[in-house]
Amino acid sequence: MKKIQLPAHVCQELERVANDHKVYLEGNILKVIEPVSYDTFNEYIELAIENDTKNRKKRLEITKQIQKQNKELRKSQNENDRLVSDIKRALKEAEEANKSVASQNEKLMSTQSENEQLMADLKEALEKAENAKKSAESDLDLIQKKTQFELIGNIVSYALYVIVGTGVITTALYVMAILHGSTETTLIGNTWSNLFGILLTNSFSIIGTIMGVKYASKDEPKSNT
Amino acid sequence: MIIESILLVDDENLFHLVFEDACSLLDISLTLESVSSADEAEKMFKEWMNEPDGKPEVAFIDLNIVGSSFDGIELIRRINFQYGNGVVIGIISSSADQTEISRALQSGAQFWIVKSDDIEPRLEEFKEDYEGYKNRSAAFKVYK
Repeated sequence: MKKIQLPAHVCQELERVANDHKVYLEGNILKVIEPVSYDTFNEYIELAIENDTKNRKKRLEITKQIQKQNKELRKSQNENDRLVSDIKRALKEAEEANKSVASQNEKLMSTQSENEQLMADLKEALEKAENAKKSAESDLDLIQKKTQFELIGNIVSYALYVIVGTGVITTALYVMAILHGSTETTLIGNTWSNLFGILLTNSFSIIGTIMGVKYASKDEPKSNT
Repeated sequence: MIIESILLVDDENLFHLVFEDACSLLDISLTLESVSSADEAEKMFKEWMNEPDGKPEVAFIDLNIVGSSFDGIELIRRINFQYGNGVVIGIISSSADQTEISRALQSGAQFWIVKSDDIEPRLEEFKEDYEGYKNRSAAFKVYK
């Protein structure tokens, strides 16, 4: 690259500004200025380069320091971001877990409600079954009693037929014996009298038994004694 | 030998200042232009195809350029294969991943400078090797 040559009056002006106000050329322009024949301006250039180098070094150090701090800050920020991300993820997981628990609770509540309904239904069914059992037992008892009554009724009927028949036959025999003038009327009379007494006694005994059975089989509320 | 113009492509603006001051202090370059995205750099190279005035001699490109459509290696590949060669080009990155270094080499990068707090010694070393890169005689090198 071709270097530039500054005219003498420009060099003098630059020197004057440097002397009066300490203001120098700076930057890469200093690298492309051709040295001149008089020493004062060359000294000016050397001083300007020295100042520029000093300033650049200072700036470089500061920039590097800022860069380093920036890196640390970025690292911290990344760490913070990571932590925030972890916290967010944990929160999300907790929320999901809560939702899951709530859903499970809801299901459990629903199941519990269903169970309660089932229990109520079961109780009702059990109650109905017990009632049906009681009713069946009652019906069975009634049928048994009815059968017993029928049996007793038959026995009583046949017993009465036998008693009445025996009474009628004995009486008829006694009447015939009296009418025919038989000598055995005393024996027959005693026999008739004994037989009639026995039959009457047995008849009352049977009737009493029947009445007792009827009384005992009546559905009366039981006392607590 | 001083490089007339350098292009730096890096998303970190503070590094622009560091790089500029380091280059100036080491008398590496006269002018330095810095851009923050690969897309912007690609656009510039596209324009330099028709109007080469202002085209840099060297391009230092970051590997991962945040906010860009593609990374630094892809930018190097495009510059080398789509927008013509003629620029000394390489990566400047804090990464030293061997896979990425191989990728860079395949895309036509000539060097890889590992970024650190103390970048000056590497730039000084690069300055010494620059002539070889310019005349394409120097092999690919990683400055650690």
